[in-house]
Amino acid sequence: MLDELSYNVVNDPMRIYRAKRDFARKRVTDKYSILGFISSGTYGRVYKAESKIDRVVHAIKKFKPDKEGDIVTYTGISQSAIREIALNREISHENVVALNEVILEDKSIYMVFEYAEHDFLQVIHHHSQTLRSPITPTVLKSLTYQLLNGLLYLHNAHIIHRDLKPANILITSSGVVKIGDLGLARLTYQPLQPLFAGDKVVVTIWYRAPELLLGAKHYNKAVDIWAVGCVMAELASLRPIFKGEEAKLDSKKNVPFQKDQLLKIFEVLGTPDERDWPGLKDLPEYQNMKRLDYSDVEHSYQNRLAEWCQSRIRPHQGGDLLRQLFIYDPDRRLTAYEALQHKWFQEEPLPSKNVFQSVPANQIPPHRRITHDEAPSMMPVPAANSQAQAQIAQVQAQAAAHLSQQLMGSHPLSQQSGRAGSVASFASLSGGTAAGGSGHPRKKARMG
Amino acid sequence: MATDFWSSSHYKRWMLDRATLRQARADDLQYVDDPEYLDFLAIFFANLISRLGKKLQLRQRVIATATVFFRRFYVKNSYCETDPFIVVAACCYVAAKAEESPVHIKNVVSEARMLFGKYGIKSFPSDNSKLAEMEFYLVDDLECDLTVFHPYRTLMTLCGKAGGNGGETEAGELGVGIQDGQRYWGTGEGKLELEEGAVQMAWFIINDTYRSELCLIYPPHLIAITAIYLTLVFHTSTRATIQAQTQSPPTSSGASASSSPPTRRSSRTANSHKKAPQDIVGFMAGLNVSMALIATLSQEIISLYALWDRYREDHTAESARSAFAQGQLSAFGAAGAGTSGKRAGHARSGSVLSGTTSSGGTPTTGDLKDDGAGLAEQQVVTPAFLVHLLLRMREARLADMAHPATGRPMAVNKMLERAQAAG
Repeated sequence: MLDELSYNVVNDPMRIYRAKRDFARKRVTDKYSILGFISSGTYGRVYKAESKIDRVVHAIKKFKPDKEGDIVTYTGISQSAIREIALNREISHENVVALNEVILEDKSIYMVFEYAEHDFLQVIHHHSQTLRSPITPTVLKSLTYQLLNGLLYLHNAHIIHRDLKPANILITSSGVVKIGDLGLARLTYQPLQPLFAGDKVVVTIWYRAPELLLGAKHYNKAVDIWAVGCVMAELASLRPIFKGEEAKLDSKKNVPFQKDQLLKIFEVLGTPDERDWPGLKDLPEYQNMKRLDYSDVEHSYQNRLAEWCQSRIRPHQGGDLLRQLFIYDPDRRLTAYEALQHKWFQEEPLPSKNVFQSVPANQIPPHRRITHDEAPSMMPVPAANSQAQAQIAQVQAQAAAHLSQQLMGSHPLSQQSGRAGSVASFASLSGGTAAGGSGHPRKKARMG
Repeated sequence: MATDFWSSSHYKRWMLDRATLRQARADDLQYVDDPEYLDFLAIFFANLISRLGKKLQLRQRVIATATVFFRRFYVKNSYCETDPFIVVAACCYVAAKAEESPVHIKNVVSEARMLFGKYGIKSFPSDNSKLAEMEFYLVDDLECDLTVFHPYRTLMTLCGKAGGNGGETEAGELGVGIQDGQRYWGTGEGKLELEEGAVQMAWFIINDTYRSELCLIYPPHLIAITAIYLTLVFHTSTRATIQAQTQSPPTSSGASASSSPPTRRSSRTANSHKKAPQDIVGFMAGLNVSMALIATLSQEIISLYALWDRYREDHTAESARSAFAQGQLSAFGAAGAGTSGKRAGHARSGSVLSGTTSSGGTPTTGDLKDDGAGLAEQQVVTPAFLVHLLLRMREARLADMAHPATGRPMAVNKMLERAQAAG
C-alpha cells in the first residue's frame, strides 16, 4: 500500500496538487454560455459568450492549444499570451478593452474580455461599401480623440501597443472606443532586452512608422502615433493611406527592405530630409532609401499631404493634426498628450463621448456577425475521437461560411461589408477568411 | 502601470499580512520538528532560484521576479503536498517570459536537472511538457498577476547617478523610451549621492531580502529605503561621513547605533544644525515614510542575517562560494570600469553575506556577522538536511492522507478523491 504511494510520490509528486486544482477550477462552460464564433487567427479563436451569472456579453479569446502531432500537449505558454495577460491584468481605462478574467483549462487559455459590438475596420467598410459616404467630421473627430485618449493611458503606463490598426480598435454599442489586442504590446519601462530583440517585425505594414521601415533598432511610443495618423487618414478617406506591398522575409528570416511601403509614404509626404530628421542617416536602411529617390531635385518626392487632405479632411485643423502625426522625426512627432491638446479637438463640433451620437439610427454599423457552426468545437469533446470531431466541425463551418459568402456574392457590396463584420474584431486573421483576399497585410506581421 | 504601484496587482492583491502567511504554512508545520526549518527552506529555495537563474543567464530582476512567484505560489500551497523543485524551475521559466527575456524551455529543463541533481534530486522530469504543465498551473495559482515591482528601481531612483540612468540602472543601457520613473510615494526630491560601494551594498541587501517573505509583506519602496538605511549604518566609510557631519549635536549619535532609527527629532536637529554638503539624515527624513516601519524592517532583515548565518551550503558549497566570490570581484571590476550591462547584471546578483569572503574593497558586514555570532552555537542547517526534510514531509503527508482518522487504509484513487473533496 505505502509502496504504491511512495512510488507515486517519487514519480509524480504533483499529482495530488493537480487533482486539487483541477477539482476546484471553474470551467469556462460553467460560467459562460457560448453564443457563437466571431473570428480566428494565428493565436486561436474569439467567441461571443454570455455570463451565466449576470447575462453580460463577453468576447472570449481562446489561445490555440499546443499540439504535437494530433495530441494536445503542454509546450509552454507563448510569449505573446504571457504579455497580453500580464499587461491586461494591470491596466484599466475606459478606452482600452478590459480583461475580465483568465481561465486556464484543459491545456488552453481563455481570456474573457468585455464585448465590443463594432470596430474601426467595420465602420470603414460600412461607410465605403454600404452607405457609400464618408464618415462625418464629428464622428471622425470623436473616434480619433478617444483613440488618442486610450493611447495616452497606455503610453503613460509605459506600454507601446505596436499593432494599432483599424481591426484592433473596437467600439462598443454605446459608442465608446476601446483599444484591443495587446498581444504585441510591450512594457518599455527599463527593458531588460532591447525592444527589437524579441520581435523582429512589429506593426502591420500599412501602419508601420518610417523609422521601423528604415530598420531602427531603437524606437519608442512614436511608432503608435504614426499608426494613429494612418488610422485617422483611413477613417477620413475610407482606404489605407499608405497601401504598400510587403516584401516577405527571406528563407533565413532576414527582414527585407520595405521599398514599396516607403515609396507609398514618400508619394504623399515627400522624401525625408536629414535637416528635419537628424537621426535619419544613422538608420540601417538609409543607403537603400537614398537609392529610391530620383537624384535630381526636380523629380524628387514632394510633400503633398495638404493636397491629399483638401478633398478628404475638410476642416483645416484636422489636416494640421494629421500633418503633425506624420512628422518623420520620431522625436518631433506629436505625443498622445500633445495630440489631444490640438486645436482641432477644441473647435466645434467637439468630440462626443458616444461616437455615434450624431449618427442617425439607420446609419449605425450593423452588429458584429457571429456564426454558430463553430461554437460547439470550442470545448474539446472528452470522447476519444474529439480531435476528429472538432476537425469535421471546423470543415463544416468553413464550408458553410464559404457558401454564405457565395450566396451574398450576388451583391458585390454586401459581400464585402458582410464579411467584414465577422472578420474584423480581433484582427490577425488566417489568410483564407480575410476580407478582400489578395494577400492583405491587415494580417499581423509577427514572427519569433 | 509601470510607474503606478498603487494601482498595480502587486499592491492590490499581493500585499499580505503575517496571519495569512502563518496560515499558509499551517500544513507544513505539522511535519517539521522546528518551525525554523521552514525559514531555512525559504533561504534554500531562494538560493536555488538564484543559482538556476544564473545558469540560465537571467538578470537579477528576473531572478527576483521568479522568487516572488515562488513565494506567492507557496502562500496557496504547502511544501508537503508539492514538489518545490519543479515549482522553482517553472518560476524561472515564467519570470523570464514575464520580464521579456525568455529562455527556451529545453534549457530550463536541462539546467534544472543538472543543478538539482547536485542536491540528490533525481526525479526532475526530463520531459519538457512536464515543466510546461507546471507553468500552466503556476500561472493559474498566480492568478495571472505577472507584473512584479522590485526595490531595485527605488534604489536607483534615489541613489542612481544623476544625469540620466546611464550605467547605474541595470537595464538603462538599452534605453530608448525609458524615463525616470516618478516616485510613487512621499514628497522627497533629489537624489542621495552614495559611493559606488555603498550603492552596491544596498543592492546586495535587497538581493538578500528575497531569502525571506519580506517581499510579500512590505511594498518594495520601503524595502529599498531600509536597504539604504542599513547601508548608511553598516557601510564603513559612509557611516564615517555621517558621523563626521553629525559630530557636534550630542543627540544625533543615534544614526550610528546599529538598530535605532534616526528619529524625527534627531533628523531635525541635524537638519537645522548645519548645512552639510549632503544632508543624508535630512534626506532620509524627507522621504516621508514611517521611520518606525523602516526600523521594524531593519530588524527583520538583521534577524534574517542571523538565521542565514546558521545555514551552510555543504558539498556544493565550494563551487557556490567561489562563484559568489567571483561575482563579487567582477562586480567591483565592472563598477570601477563602468563596463557593459551583461557583466554588471551578473555582478548584481551578489549578496552581502557572501561578500564577507572576498577581499579588500568589499563593503564589510562585520556588524551583521557580529549580530549572528552570539547564535553560532546553535544548530547549523545544510541543504542536504533540508532536501531530506522535504522528502520526509511529503511522505508523512501522504501517509496521513492514506491513513485517515477512520483507521482504514485508502487506495490512491480514493486518496485523490479525498484531496479533491478537500478542495
